[in-house]
Amino acid sequence: MDKKELKQKVKEVIAHVLEIEIEEISDDANFIFDLGADSAQSLELVAGFEEEFDIEMDEDRALEVQNVSDAVDFISEYTK
Amino acid sequence: MAAKNKNNLKENMENIFYPESVAVVGANKVPGTVPHDIIHNILKADFQGIVYPVSPREKFIAGAKAYKYIIDIEDPIDLAIIVFPSSVCDLALEQCGKKGVKSVIIISAGFKEIGGKGVEREQELLEIADKYDMNFIGPNCLGVINTDPHKNLNASFARQMPEEGNIGFLSQSGALCTAVLDYAQAKHIGFSKFISFGNKADINEIDLLNYLKDDPKTDVILLYLEEISDGRALMETARNIIIETGKPILALKAGRTTEGASAAASHTGSLAGSDEITTGALKQAGIIRCDNIEEMFNKAIAMAYQPMPKSNRVAIITNAGGPGVLTTDAAIKEGLELANFSDQTTSVLKKSLPRTANIKNPVDVIGDARAERYKVALSQALKDVNVDGAFVILTPQSMTDIEDTAQEIARVAEQYDKPLYVSFMGEAEVAEGVDILQRNKIPHYQLPESMCRAFATAYNYTTHKQKEMDRSELYEDVDTDKAKKILEQAKSEGRKILTEFEADKVLETYRLPLPKRGLATTQEEAVEIAKDIGYPVALKIQSKDITHKFDIKGVKLDIKSAKGVKKDYKEIMDNVKSSKPDASISGILVEAMIPEGQEVILGIKQDSYFGPSIMYGMGGIFVETFKDVSFRVAPLDRETAEDMIEETASSPLLHGARGVSERDIYALQNALIRLSQLAVDCPEIKELDINPLIVLEKGQGCFVADASISL
Repeated sequence: MDKKELKQKVKEVIAHVLEIEIEEISDDANFIFDLGADSAQSLELVAGFEEEFDIEMDEDRALEVQNVSDAVDFISEYTK
Repeated sequence: MAAKNKNNLKENMENIFYPESVAVVGANKVPGTVPHDIIHNILKADFQGIVYPVSPREKFIAGAKAYKYIIDIEDPIDLAIIVFPSSVCDLALEQCGKKGVKSVIIISAGFKEIGGKGVEREQELLEIADKYDMNFIGPNCLGVINTDPHKNLNASFARQMPEEGNIGFLSQSGALCTAVLDYAQAKHIGFSKFISFGNKADINEIDLLNYLKDDPKTDVILLYLEEISDGRALMETARNIIIETGKPILALKAGRTTEGASAAASHTGSLAGSDEITTGALKQAGIIRCDNIEEMFNKAIAMAYQPMPKSNRVAIITNAGGPGVLTTDAAIKEGLELANFSDQTTSVLKKSLPRTANIKNPVDVIGDARAERYKVALSQALKDVNVDGAFVILTPQSMTDIEDTAQEIARVAEQYDKPLYVSFMGEAEVAEGVDILQRNKIPHYQLPESMCRAFATAYNYTTHKQKEMDRSELYEDVDTDKAKKILEQAKSEGRKILTEFEADKVLETYRLPLPKRGLATTQEEAVEIAKDIGYPVALKIQSKDITHKFDIKGVKLDIKSAKGVKKDYKEIMDNVKSSKPDASISGILVEAMIPEGQEVILGIKQDSYFGPSIMYGMGGIFVETFKDVSFRVAPLDRETAEDMIEETASSPLLHGARGVSERDIYALQNALIRLSQLAVDCPEIKELDINPLIVLEKGQGCFVADASISL
């Protein structure tokens, strides 16, 4: 999967979990500060990415990821 | 590392308590969460200003339009309250800076208190605040409350807004704040400002104390601390507040620990845990240290509600003999006096009270006393010029009209400018009466002992006026350079403990009184030195490899002749050679024997909060058993040195007891002052013991008998 495709899927997960339109999600939008994710939704995002990409991420590190670009880079490590 | 913005600190703090507009950054609509409760608390308290919710997702919160970002708000914002998770507080604070907000409260947890990443995050906040000239309270705090009816700000997630009052409360612990609010609510204790300052990354207890100093709504300041930001600054600030405004400061300092003591090597070290020094330092600064919340409020309400006592002469009015006696005992124990009533008072009481009543102090209005009888007795007592305060005791008997008596006491209290404290003893029966007293700001105590202690605290506060340290009493004839050279020499040789000879030399540079002495390297030299000094003399082995001279028989005392000096010199050398054959011997110290006197101990310890500190106590072999010691922060003036001496239980021994003449207390004070200067000038001295210092009869001075210094 190339990065463009991966980014699109990441945004889809975010839009689904946070119940927002995909157009509202810019690459550098912070999940909490810009998109309003609460702590439960942050955990749901991690679970959503794991399910979408069929990977198991380090949860502590995954929760440090705060925006789309970082999420794409982080998930790429697992999908190589 | 970013420094605290002090350019507009005062103005920024004023905006924290008196904002015209508040933005809650990170607000939401989920009940039971901090972001939700903060905004609702502000609105519920009838805040006199405008509230702007800032939320990435919500359009409206609690009926107010919500903004996605604080920079979207067109109006100026005086105060921002950040309630976002810690991971994005930096982004929120950065935006506050861009918006031009100067005053911020950061409620969020997840900073220094969790270590690691949290420490970095807290540092980032400081850097942002520095960049934009902002100041903030927190992070990791409950928030602040201002009960001033012109503002009514409850910027906290406490369950309730406290009553208005004249007590300012500062707390490092947010959780304690909620407990205190609940406690205070039950007793109708009001607050002027209620402040939880959490990690105090930027605004700390010193800044807040300074704020409350100038706050006209605050008359008494309470402080709960877990760790002290800057001990010396705290002392200076407290002293200034007390001197300039007279506002009492009561502190609860948690974290009494003995860890430091067990690790220490010297007597001073083992006796001087950081908490003992903290106790001494707070006392030195005029802060009233309390052991628990109840004690703190018992004392605080006495000083916040009632006039300060002009003397310790009190009247006791009771309807029960036993409790009257208990109160009398407690009053005497606390250093109070039962006032002698004037003839007029006695005459009026005799006419007004039943024949079976006791008209002398303590006045027993007897068991069937109703409100009117209490009123007569209490009014008459407070009118008396020999009375400067009154205690009212009530026990609930079948004929006692408890609530009416409470009302009457409140009315009488208003008429006299004298402190009046009350103890309605019991619980269930007196509850309503107690409630009336508390609503009327009459200090009430469940136990007479607490009541007397509170009165004594207020009285001692008024009599022991806090003063600036008198630096004119410091000595100029000290030789710091010479002392430092000796210390550096030992340090350069990798030694952490000085020999006695070296320690004496250091003390000599600060003119601490040492007996005549000289170092001998031969028997003949020892005899010559002894001849110069005069008999009797003592001989002591000097070696950097020997710490405990007595243990290896390296000391001989009370030698009265040249023959004895020769013999004992050889014996000491033989003893040392057999028990410590490899020890490097620098010689044997020949020292004049000090006449008999009172043995005391003096010491230096470097404290992590307060720096160089001084210990004083009774010396001798039981010093660690009885722990009759006192501590103060160096340098000392004469009054502080005097306080240190008088504070110990054994101080009467110095004033002459059981046929022993008075000791030279003035010389002892001199020694303490000189030692305190050494502690400040040479902070490389980690610990120092003078044990014992022998205090001779008045006018004869005192002498250092033994000293040790560790670096």
